Amino acid sequence: MNVLTIDHISKHYGSLRALDDLSLDIRKGDIHGILGPNGSGKTTTLGIVLGIIKSTSGTYSWFEGMSPQKARRRVGALLETPNFYPYLNADDNLAIIRHIKQSSETNFDHSLELVQLKDRRKSKFNTYSLGMKQRLAIAAALVGDPEVLILDEPTNGLDPEGIADVRNTIRAIGESGKTIVMASHILAEVEKVCTHVSILKQGKILAEGPVGAILSDEVCIEVAAKDMGNLGNALSQIEGVIRIDQKNGLFEIMVAHSIDPADLNHRLVTMGIYVTHLAIKRSRLEDEFLEVIK
Amino acid sequence: MHLIKLEWLKFRKNSVLLLLALLYLILLPIKLFGGSAMEIQFPGFNNMMLVQFPTVWSFVGYIGNWLVFFFWGFAAIYLVTSEFANRTFRQNVISGLSRHQMFFAKFNFLLVLALAATIYYVLVCLLIGFSNYEDTEWSQVFERADLIPRYFLMCVGYMSLGLFLGLIVRKTAVAIFLYFTYIMFFELLLRWVIHKEIVNNKSMHFYPANAIEDLVPVPVKDFPPARQFIEANAFDFYLTPLEATITSLIYIILFLVLAYRSVQVRDL
Repeated sequence: MNVLTIDHISKHYGSLRALDDLSLDIRKGDIHGILGPNGSGKTTTLGIVLGIIKSTSGTYSWFEGMSPQKARRRVGALLETPNFYPYLNADDNLAIIRHIKQSSETNFDHSLELVQLKDRRKSKFNTYSLGMKQRLAIAAALVGDPEVLILDEPTNGLDPEGIADVRNTIRAIGESGKTIVMASHILAEVEKVCTHVSILKQGKILAEGPVGAILSDEVCIEVAAKDMGNLGNALSQIEGVIRIDQKNGLFEIMVAHSIDPADLNHRLVTMGIYVTHLAIKRSRLEDEFLEVIK
Repeated sequence: MHLIKLEWLKFRKNSVLLLLALLYLILLPIKLFGGSAMEIQFPGFNNMMLVQFPTVWSFVGYIGNWLVFFFWGFAAIYLVTSEFANRTFRQNVISGLSRHQMFFAKFNFLLVLALAATIYYVLVCLLIGFSNYEDTEWSQVFERADLIPRYFLMCVGYMSLGLFLGLIVRKTAVAIFLYFTYIMFFELLLRWVIHKEIVNNKSMHFYPANAIEDLVPVPVKDFPPARQFIEANAFDFYLTPLEATITSLIYIILFLVLAYRSVQVRDL
């Protein structure tokens, strides 16, 4: 079942085409990443399906035809920055969202615990650090136990520990069967969290599909030896080496994720080859992403 | 009720709004505390008229006119523009509020505030009137009670103008500047530009701020010289209550329709 169908949506700001004939299906249970550089139209897309931005043309439908307003009550969303009443505390702010969603939730213990804000629940929002604000926004998105979560750059402004926490939280929520749509410009985030990905550039979808199919998890390794001819022969015999290119006196090889440089070195030594240079250049994933959005 | 409760949840702890309400509550019954400092020296005018029925309705009403213009107009703007500043309108819609509900949550809340301000006006008039009840006939108590519904409409009028400016302009400082300067200067300027005069011709009274002000006007006719001038020249400074009511209603509807359209059409 499609949770969200976006059908040929465009959004123009004067002569600027923020979105250009964009279509996208989000299926129930997917953790769908929308990956793209800043300004590619991720937030505009989410803003349109959440009812705050009017599209120039095209349509979208939630839960196969439910009214947008009713659908939004079944969706939890964090869009761009956390938006709360600065003079109210966490509980009061969440109570407003609960009232709008007409949810019968009696308290917010569970979600505040999940984002580690239970101790600060009675502090006013304007006393929170950026990371705490972001975490409260995630708690807010969970009010009313929504079926779908929309998260726009959810790890923005968090420290490394916070980023890891949020990613784990998102994964845990995804495993509980909820559908998640996550926009991000960070490739590693999408790779680590999502099952499906759409790559967006200048308001157009360039590629779409399961993460494994769109972003293969191969690694690029640079390797050199005194006798490059022998090295080339040896590399071609090693299982898991997918592609070999010779560049600037080095071999750049694509290997499956299962092979790491130590592994490769060991195998070459057993074949009587001692390397003079061995380094991971860049993950294949980053290469592909940069290739796609070029 | 669902929408009014929503606004209550949002603003019950807002210090700006609480301060504005407090100032209104303190300043409206000022005559009770003002004493002789408030007395008016005017030939043929008796100061007891400020505090006795039925004229107390007019004088407290006129103080209320200024206070509602200042505090409740400001409050109406703030109720809207603070939501744009905090980007909470966006969040409300994302959470599941429709734009229609968003508009009516504000408008219904303003109606409640207008009603509360009017009830307080009635209580203050009754309190001041009954504490100065000597030489008053019972029949005079409610002689000018027709001011009560017009006072309510005046509150709705100022607040609708505030709501309209807040929703169109969205920036607190700009909306408040426009609100005060329009009512105090621009409209007079407009009248002068169009009619080349500020008073003297009845047609120039049918402007929004003027019509809303005239719902609860300065009780000039209680000052004998002014009354004689008006009678002698067959000229009235003010719209009649019916004219002011109908004109205000037309402008209120216009403000609300334009504000509603803006909410429906524009990005948040």
